[in-house]
Amino acid sequence: MSAMASMMRTRASRITLSNLSPNPKSQHAQKRLGRGQGSGKGGTSGRGHKGQKARSGNGKPKAGFEGGQTPITKRFPKRGFVNPNRKEYAPVNLDRIQHWIEQGRLHSSPENPITARELVLSGCVHDVHDGIKLLGDGAAFLKTPVHITPSKASKSAIKAVEASGGSVFCKYYNPLALRDCVKSRTDRVSAAPTRRTDIRKITPIYPLWSFIDATLNSAVWYTDWKNRGYLSPEAIGKMPIVEERWKELSKQLLAFKDQTFDTKKIKKA
Amino acid sequence: MLSALRQAVGQPSRIIRRRLATIVPSNIHEGNASTISEPQAQSPVSQTQSASTGKQISRKVIDPTEPVYLTMSALLLEKQKYAGQRAVALDPTVFGHPIRRDVLHLCAVHYLDSLRQGTASTKTRGEVRGSNRKIRPQKGTGRARLGERQSPMLRGGGVAFGPKPRDFSTKLNRKVIQMGMRVALTLKAREQRLGVVDHLHWLDRKTASLNRRLKLLGWEAGTLFVSGEEEVPSSLKIAGNNLPGVDFRTVADLQVYDLVKWRRVVLDMAAVHALERTLSKGWAHGENLIINTSPASPVAT
Repeated sequence: MSAMASMMRTRASRITLSNLSPNPKSQHAQKRLGRGQGSGKGGTSGRGHKGQKARSGNGKPKAGFEGGQTPITKRFPKRGFVNPNRKEYAPVNLDRIQHWIEQGRLHSSPENPITARELVLSGCVHDVHDGIKLLGDGAAFLKTPVHITPSKASKSAIKAVEASGGSVFCKYYNPLALRDCVKSRTDRVSAAPTRRTDIRKITPIYPLWSFIDATLNSAVWYTDWKNRGYLSPEAIGKMPIVEERWKELSKQLLAFKDQTFDTKKIKKA
Repeated sequence: MLSALRQAVGQPSRIIRRRLATIVPSNIHEGNASTISEPQAQSPVSQTQSASTGKQISRKVIDPTEPVYLTMSALLLEKQKYAGQRAVALDPTVFGHPIRRDVLHLCAVHYLDSLRQGTASTKTRGEVRGSNRKIRPQKGTGRARLGERQSPMLRGGGVAFGPKPRDFSTKLNRKVIQMGMRVALTLKAREQRLGVVDHLHWLDRKTASLNRRLKLLGWEAGTLFVSGEEEVPSSLKIAGNNLPGVDFRTVADLQVYDLVKWRRVVLDMAAVHALERTLSKGWAHGENLIINTSPASPVAT
């Protein structure tokens, strides 16, 4: 106990301003360079003798410099470009959704489908990125009918959701529309898809064009019932809540299908 | 981390691990042992065994239901006898806190830093008045090479790394300052240097009458009066303005430094309420009971 007492730093005198001190080792004296030999950091102040590192100012070459040898950042050629229009969709699989529904973290009905907002707030998806894509992994686990409106959905996911009695409608969200969806803002009107909406060229000599067009051209993609696009006529018929705008959009975007060119007969000379 | 290494090697840990209460051995008190007496029964001491050293450690835990009792004082002569028969029950979490000298040190240093004016200023070689003309040619004179006349190497030149006006104030965690207040108030209470009066009203504005009264009480050399009202009562302040051993504060202006510096601290009941309102850690009673008691309880000397 006496050993303990001595460690306690007790004093019989009163505590005044003259005997206040910090706890030992709680404060460390500053390192002061160039203040004489006794300090241990006098003379060259811990820099050694001469050389680039002993100089005032930065004393270092620029970052990545390898003394003149071709640096690793210059040894290899540049490649490619970064596409500013690239979209990264946040994937969500069916088994995860089923798990969330079982836990009671997600609820869906045809009038209130699962949107990006519900997925983020429930923690099913951590970040919406450029939109949600519904994928079909774990389709065997899906039992409850799920009503969901993602940005995109894979074919197997669509098949599995509809087999269990749910519905999938893929809606176009541009960055602002996605933000409004997640923040639950209803004062703004979500924009329609616009990329390459012009009448597409039908070029029979390039049979792949129709495939490319359908995948790259979001207006075409969202008018396709195959993708459960919200602007397809079947979706307009089936969706519980449809805006008037979409009906008009659907009609206009698919107008090209019935349009033909006037072909003039070339007179044979 | 160092203690973990020591334990791994097999040495006993040198740092006593602090848990909820600061360790204070029960048989040694801070302050003058002859005058201090605990008015009530000894505070509960719990015996636990330190996991690393295996020694018995006594820890003094603040019992929140056991207040710190203090006989009341009075500033006005006619109230003194009446006050002497009453004691106030003070919040033990505010007035019975374990003593932390290092926290007081931190608070005092923080306060003094904040007082620094920080107006020392020097001129650098760029600020000293003069042109940029080269004093003498680079080569040929046989003397050292020199540039402009304001170089710190030369007499009359600028100062190389001299002081500039700067802010010396530091940040101290709010809760550390609050702990400092608790420790300082506890210190004063424990050293028999705390007084509580009903109110700090003084009847006339004469310094002589106040001086006479303070001499009678023994309070004329080094007493800090703390008022819980928005302003210190004006008559008292005017009367005591010219007395060197006396000063006045409101609770809002009160500093840990003041509580350590001043020999004696006298609080009025409003100040006690205000301090307990901000500093209390969930006291069981919540009210300062003023009880009638015999004059055997400790009085501020």
